Amino acid sequence: MSNNLLENIATTLAELKNSRKIKELINEALGQGIPVAEIVEKGLRKGLDSVGKKYEAGEYFLSELLFAASLMNDALEILEPHFKLEKIEKKGTIVLGTVRGDIHDIGKNIFKMFAQATGFQVHDLGVDVEPEIFVKKLKETIAEILGLSSLLTTTRLEMKTIIDQLNQTGIRNKVKVLIGGNAVTKDFARQIAADEAALDAVEGIEICKKWVMKK
Amino acid sequence: MQKVGDEKMMTQRERIKAVIHFKKPDVLPWIENFYEETLVRWFREGLPADKVTTIEWEMSRRGLLLNWPRVMGFDPYSYFGCYSFFGCAVPLDGGPIPRFKQRIIRENGRYAELLAETGAVLRRFKKAEYTWYSMPMFVDFPVKDRESWEEYKKRLNPKDPRRYPKDWSKDDYVEVFENYRAGNTILTFNGFYGFGAQIMGIPTFNVMFYKDPELMHDMAEYWEYFTIETIRDAVDTLKDQIDLVYWWEDMAEKHGPCVSPKLYKEFFLPHYKKVTGFLGKNKIDRIVMDSDGNLNPLLDLIIEAGINGLWPLEVNSGMEAVSLKKKYGNKLFLAGNLDKRELAKGGEAMRREVDSKVPVLKEMGGYIPGVDHLVHVEFTLQRFEEYVEHLKKHLPY
Repeated sequence: MSNNLLENIATTLAELKNSRKIKELINEALGQGIPVAEIVEKGLRKGLDSVGKKYEAGEYFLSELLFAASLMNDALEILEPHFKLEKIEKKGTIVLGTVRGDIHDIGKNIFKMFAQATGFQVHDLGVDVEPEIFVKKLKETIAEILGLSSLLTTTRLEMKTIIDQLNQTGIRNKVKVLIGGNAVTKDFARQIAADEAALDAVEGIEICKKWVMKK
Repeated sequence: MQKVGDEKMMTQRERIKAVIHFKKPDVLPWIENFYEETLVRWFREGLPADKVTTIEWEMSRRGLLLNWPRVMGFDPYSYFGCYSFFGCAVPLDGGPIPRFKQRIIRENGRYAELLAETGAVLRRFKKAEYTWYSMPMFVDFPVKDRESWEEYKKRLNPKDPRRYPKDWSKDDYVEVFENYRAGNTILTFNGFYGFGAQIMGIPTFNVMFYKDPELMHDMAEYWEYFTIETIRDAVDTLKDQIDLVYWWEDMAEKHGPCVSPKLYKEFFLPHYKKVTGFLGKNKIDRIVMDSDGNLNPLLDLIIEAGINGLWPLEVNSGMEAVSLKKKYGNKLFLAGNLDKRELAKGGEAMRREVDSKVPVLKEMGGYIPGVDHLVHVEFTLQRFEEYVEHLKKHLPY
């Protein structure tokens, strides 16, 4: 019974039914005493995974991705009070930001929404972030992943500056660096010795999931 | 491909008209658009600076409501021998009237946030070292829901006389458009995606197709009405003189279009057919859509909508002009598609990019070469001149 209900939540999210329907199903699951961790993992995240796969397959596009993220946020709002009662394990920690000189954040914010919905703890430093601030936050949070975004070709070299600082401060081998944004390519990631470049938010999440699973 | 003209040289206008009608000109026209910051860089690198008179911040251009610095008094098109689509544009104002009063809302040592004429709030760097190199970041938008849309609509009255210039004397404009030779004449407006994303912001606009489809149908319907009624007088007056319609969208990202074919069919296609139908009835049947990103999944529908030209065809996003010509033939004329990243490298990389595309596309017809977006600031003057010199060898038939 509970499996059916969780499957129903996953399908409802994957098929982008309305927010009211998802909320009803979540309340039903809570009423049945299904643990919040299971609702999140086997219901919502499974549904979100399907959305990501449909996006990668060219069945869904940006509108669908953004709507799925908003449905997920609505669902998590209902579950929020229960998080305090149950310990939900985080998948990993990401320090995220748009590099110095660049104030664009649409792509970064889409990635953040998906990362949080997938179960990552995200420390978003915002836009136009100085290299030292990234380093400081990584040391403070002991995050496994650094996500750097740049829309502009003129500012993407900041990513190299940040990686240089990670090397200088001796923490480069403790953190995986993922770069994203319109200005970056896989080639560019290799040139600046980043660990990976994500061409879209969904690919970025998949990369992060693989990294934390390997640990 | 049918050949036009005779021994005498064709004008630039005749050349572009030939290409967009899939005919062969004497010399292939070549189109570029420049970021002003690129020109500023080039002045430092030896471009004749005495040609610059002023630099100003421009809040509105051709009704497209952009916001960037503009170098005045220097014409890169005649200097390099290329041209832009916008040589002779119908002087229509498709923006909100009255405009929002521009003002600084807040600022600190590093940024200023400004209320723009469109009602959007945008953030800009104040520091000189970044000012030139950064597009603004839009942080707030005037339309968020039904109520704010109804309010905004009051500024979108197509019959407002301020949409046409004060000197809108029809005969004079007919004469000017008739006699223009330096490029094509053009009518510009925003497509529904460009229109909506500009007043709602990309995330809100995209999500609203699911959250409030009724609102989106209403907006799409109003966009159709507003567009047709705004351009009606210009079309009536200049229908025999308008060579091309420029339809701004920017509706795709690297991965693909921002809206699915399903949404496009439901919310865009019916209204687009009405607008292109109106243009077609007036014998205006060449329409180029400006969109960055990967449009491939939508192309069949875009053609069905009545749009038959594409620019800039970003290689970085998977747009390939040669494949498109093979697939769509004379259903689409194409412009751009020379990979800016390869061209900016210069030397062999630049020559490979030009040589692998321009001769093939030139023979296929319906293609205007150019960089696959605006010429950006990473181009040095020397590399751009090298590219110009090489490209020009390919242009004559």
